[in-house]
Amino acid sequence: MPEQLWFTAFLNHLFAGPVTALLRAVHFEPKYPQAPIANSVAMELLVFLALIILFALVRSQLSVDSPGALQHIFEGAHGFVNGQSEEIIGHHSEGYTPFLMALGFFILFCNLIGLVPGFESPTAVPVVPLGCAVCAFFYYQAQGFKHAGIGYLKHFAGPMPLLAPLMVPIELISHLARMLSLTIRLYANMFAGDMVTLVFFSLVPIGVPILFLGLHIGVSLLQTYIFVLLTTVYLAGAVAEEH
Amino acid sequence: MKKLSNLFMLLSVMSFALPALAQGGDASSAVNWVAIAAGFSMAFASGICALAQGKATAAAAEGLARNPAARPGIQLALILGLALIESLALYTLVIIFAKVK
Repeated sequence: MPEQLWFTAFLNHLFAGPVTALLRAVHFEPKYPQAPIANSVAMELLVFLALIILFALVRSQLSVDSPGALQHIFEGAHGFVNGQSEEIIGHHSEGYTPFLMALGFFILFCNLIGLVPGFESPTAVPVVPLGCAVCAFFYYQAQGFKHAGIGYLKHFAGPMPLLAPLMVPIELISHLARMLSLTIRLYANMFAGDMVTLVFFSLVPIGVPILFLGLHIGVSLLQTYIFVLLTTVYLAGAVAEEH
Repeated sequence: MKKLSNLFMLLSVMSFALPALAQGGDASSAVNWVAIAAGFSMAFASGICALAQGKATAAAAEGLARNPAARPGIQLALILGLALIESLALYTLVIIFAKVK
């Protein structure tokens, strides 16, 4: 039996049977059949449920005449992401804001949940940032194809058609490296934050780890912002029109 | 002349450390090269990352001082540049996590 958080143990207690059956149906044998749900998956599900409840709450309280505090917060966040994408992508950038907001909120909540005792950041395992990076990658590629049709592939050919045989492998590798860099940036920041908190906790158990928890808050916000900013920049590269 | 004599003094002091090279050949205390290389590489990565980020911040501060009205653009470029440079040092850290037991 692996080491489990209380929420993971709760989920495994309820759903271990169906989840193991589902995994076996796709020819995957879980390492611990009585605990197939890992900590990171359980935390991701918790963040997902919390966000759904939060969004439903905001949606139900929307009002033009007397907006509440929650509406102000979400309008502020929406305005921020909208302004950011308008500055980077240019005109017609409103269509991308929902995805960027969802990505930003998910990553932010995933990062911050590690501060609460009894929970851990799912972004501190490599797979979760990889999932976010793969979503961002396929989103901007899909938007590129939607915007320019099959002509989107001209982006990979470089500035001159003569250079295309040289540029296409370079561009392909650079696009794939974007996924890698997004993943590693988020994962390494979160994991290193946890590591350094643990190290200082083992040295000075009282007082000093609070500084590192504060650092974790700052790094969580900054890394979320950077992830969304870079996705916006990649979107701009995919859908921008050369004037 | 003074510089040359300083150099020779430095070399003679460093030669006091030569006995450390004469390892008795006991295989029980094998040198953990991976950990040593990890320490050096992380130090290099962090140092060069700090230099690069310092250059970026200095350029951003100067740009902001010359033209405070361009703050949004300069701030955006600064944060983006700092994060990209930071991620290069983080690649080294990830290799260390992957390789050092």
